[in-house]
Amino acid sequence: MADDASTQPNPFDLQTIEQLVALMSKHDLSEIDLRQGEQRICLRRGGASATPAPLPAVTANPAPVALSAPKATETPPPASPPRQLIEIKSPTVGTFYAQEKPGSPPYVTVGSRVTPTTIVCQIEAMKVFNEITADCSGVVVEVCVQNKEFVEYGTVLFRVDPNA
Amino acid sequence: MFQRILIANRGEIALRIIRACKEMGIESVAVYSEADRGAPYLQLADQSICIGPAIATESYLKIPRLISAAEAADVQAIHPGYGFLSENAHFAEVCRDCKIEFIGPPPEAMHRLGNKNEARKLAQKAGVPVVPGSEGLIEKDEEALALAREMGFPVLIKAAAGGGGRGMRVIREEAALLSGLRAARQEAESAFKDGSVYLEKYIEQPRHVEVQLLGDRLGNVIHLWERDCSLQRRHQKLVEESPAPNLPDSVRKKICESAVRLAKAAGYYSAGTCEFLVDKQNRFYFIEVNARIQVEHPVTELVTGVDLVKAQIRVAAGEPLPFAQRDIVHRGCAIECRINAEDPASHFRPSPGLITRWQPPGGPGVRLDTHAVAGYRVPPNYDSLVAKLLVYQPTRADAIACMRRALDEFIIEGIHTTIPLHREIMRHPAFQAGQVDTTFIERTWQKKG
Repeated sequence: MADDASTQPNPFDLQTIEQLVALMSKHDLSEIDLRQGEQRICLRRGGASATPAPLPAVTANPAPVALSAPKATETPPPASPPRQLIEIKSPTVGTFYAQEKPGSPPYVTVGSRVTPTTIVCQIEAMKVFNEITADCSGVVVEVCVQNKEFVEYGTVLFRVDPNA
Repeated sequence: MFQRILIANRGEIALRIIRACKEMGIESVAVYSEADRGAPYLQLADQSICIGPAIATESYLKIPRLISAAEAADVQAIHPGYGFLSENAHFAEVCRDCKIEFIGPPPEAMHRLGNKNEARKLAQKAGVPVVPGSEGLIEKDEEALALAREMGFPVLIKAAAGGGGRGMRVIREEAALLSGLRAARQEAESAFKDGSVYLEKYIEQPRHVEVQLLGDRLGNVIHLWERDCSLQRRHQKLVEESPAPNLPDSVRKKICESAVRLAKAAGYYSAGTCEFLVDKQNRFYFIEVNARIQVEHPVTELVTGVDLVKAQIRVAAGEPLPFAQRDIVHRGCAIECRINAEDPASHFRPSPGLITRWQPPGGPGVRLDTHAVAGYRVPPNYDSLVAKLLVYQPTRADAIACMRRALDEFIIEGIHTTIPLHREIMRHPAFQAGQVDTTFIERTWQKKG
């Protein structure tokens, strides 16, 4: 962030706070803790977790539909990942390609660091190749689909640890 | 015959098609949006694929995703159901380009019949009566006056860019015509950004009578008789029946034969419906063709014994129709009540939500087409049709008695439905006498909304 030469950067300046908030959002950060001398500002993106509740996969066995109205308590969804991982889900229907072309290395593997604009794969539908971006920051901890696998809308492609 | 079919639709019609596939030994592939995830009917398909979020434009209407799903599932055909992409000629062309059979009419026939002006011209050429009106748009006021005098009042000024009942103005006498034209043009300009209007004769309190058609790819086209769908609210049908009550046999025959002539002239095959208005003197006028299977198709299935969805699949596979016109015998009377998730006591406000109790009717002569079950959550994102309740009996009086019994048995709790309205309709003397027209619902239930 470039310094404004005319004023001292001041954590409690509204403009600074606004810029910090925008940066947090942009890079998907959950917490910033800044100190300067006696002054300190700590910003936390709170409330709902950044991890969307994982949707159940298409089931093969018919599950009986519950008759009671769903409650708003924190019942963990059955397929919840052990840590607070972000799931990169397919935004379309088609064939998953892990690399740019045959013979190229995969866009990402386990251990790859991603930012929101990192291309993580391609999904092909009707001969059109769509580049899929991570839309989150962190380290890939799981590649959930195989090359040339058919994916539906919402299929989990990768799991990313935002805290790594 | 196809090995596998993808159903590009949802809800009760998707289930209807899955059932036909199962009986024919064809594998079915269902698609669903996030709003339909977990719907019980999906488990009856051999495979189901999530194609997008709730919003239809990103799921059920999203052609690339449907084709992608179809190719991945290796299907040979797609059944579009009704609504959504069923009358989208471009979708039919894309299917064809991707070497997937579209279970419906050819795109050329869809183009020909989709344009109201084109369809009207085709009907005239085929000797099918159309609603008298202007040859095209009204350019000069004098033209409108001369035409109105010739046709006789009342006349209807219609916005060319309007539709679905919008942009129409009734003029009952000559003195009101010119000012009416000016006002209609202004309204059309502001509502549709297009002030062009045309003129039609206004048919007072018409009945809506439509003919079920079926054609194969060898050029055979037959009709499966008619349905009366006069009970409508805001151009949405509520009750349908066959045969059309109080319609002279000679008129019935002429309407059905006209429909077949038009379908042949359009090069039509698969299932379709030809709609007519019938005036108080039993004169009939073509209005439009619905180039798809319709919601109310079971009414015709009950009175003719023909499975229309299976017939569509066979036609798409290239088979000739296994029957001739003389084989289609109309027997008995069938009535359908559309059970919608709406509250008739509150201006038909949509009533999506969780169905907490579901006790469907049964017994002789009752057919229930529905995807809903106890515990099913009706999503707010799509049309409100929850179930189609049909009855089939030897006479109309028997059918009405059976429908009243079935409606009384039918318990749905957790959402509001149109069941109370249907109970009132079945009790109404005008309906029982078969003396209803397309204005009946709005006239009778105006105060209640």
